[in-house]
Amino acid sequence: MSRALLRSVLELRPAVPRPIASPRILPATQIRALQTQTPRQFNPTAQFVDPQPRPSQLPEQSTSSLSSSSQREPPKQKPNPPRVRLPTTPPEITPQKLDPSVKSLLPLLAAQPAHYITIHIHGRPYLVTEGDAVRLPFLMPDVQPGDVLRLNRASTLGSRDFTLKGSPWVDERLFECRAVVTGTEQEPVRVMIKKKRRCRRKKHVFSQHRYTTLTISEVKVVTEVPEDA
Amino acid sequence: MSWFRITLHRSAIGLPERTRGVLAALGLRRRSQVVFHPVSPQFAGMIMKVKELVRVEEVARPLSRAEVKAERTPERGFWLERRGTGGLEAGKEGEKVGEL
Repeated sequence: MSRALLRSVLELRPAVPRPIASPRILPATQIRALQTQTPRQFNPTAQFVDPQPRPSQLPEQSTSSLSSSSQREPPKQKPNPPRVRLPTTPPEITPQKLDPSVKSLLPLLAAQPAHYITIHIHGRPYLVTEGDAVRLPFLMPDVQPGDVLRLNRASTLGSRDFTLKGSPWVDERLFECRAVVTGTEQEPVRVMIKKKRRCRRKKHVFSQHRYTTLTISEVKVVTEVPEDA
Repeated sequence: MSWFRITLHRSAIGLPERTRGVLAALGLRRRSQVVFHPVSPQFAGMIMKVKELVRVEEVARPLSRAEVKAERTPERGFWLERRGTGGLEAGKEGEKVGEL
């Protein structure tokens, strides 16, 4: 935590003194306003951390930036292979017959824009619509900001007047839902105090989790249903 | 050849040593653990001894540990369609790295 905080402070430092360094131009009231405004911009609860430097590379980067600040060398980025590789191809599906009511009512659902969808990621439901930001309750491995995920498990898909309910899932061929990875969010440090009875010793255990954030970029109802369905 | 799929549904805490011995012989240690045994009079008798504690199905083949775990794991629900090369955020990150 301290390293990330120090880094953010180091990054902030050149930006903060600028308004204070030119007191002759600005009247005192404006300076005071600026001084009071600047701390407000810092949000201590939800921080955005660059996922690029992996934990193993952090010390190397900090030393290089401190020692050779005059020589502007781009830091070497070793691709650290993640343990988990996400699949980059769609999973195989066995085409199943669609209910005739679905076929007849699907154009009506598609004609009403602004669809909502209940997507399931690792079994957890998220009721979203296009443009929503989702903070996942875990740090997704093997993704970088800008990656596009295709979400293929949904239990409901609907508009203002129609809802397509899956049993348990909506057919994958009937919708297209995409999400863009926007970054990583860090929670405030949790402190857990471990204490045994009849013993004064207290142990503070710190933990700080990181979470992947997504933005739902597309929710589309597919109207061209394949003939075999 | 068919197999018994035996799941320990109720705990054996507080039960006689003989009953716990039968569960140990079946290989059941904790609740909702699943074991597979071939259908035979010996195993049928053991199941009868602990019939109040277990749930039994007859299946065609035994599943491996990984397969049993995969049954319980929910589906991932997504796949990586495109790597963010030259995307909005990725471009910004690249510029930052270059400035440093």
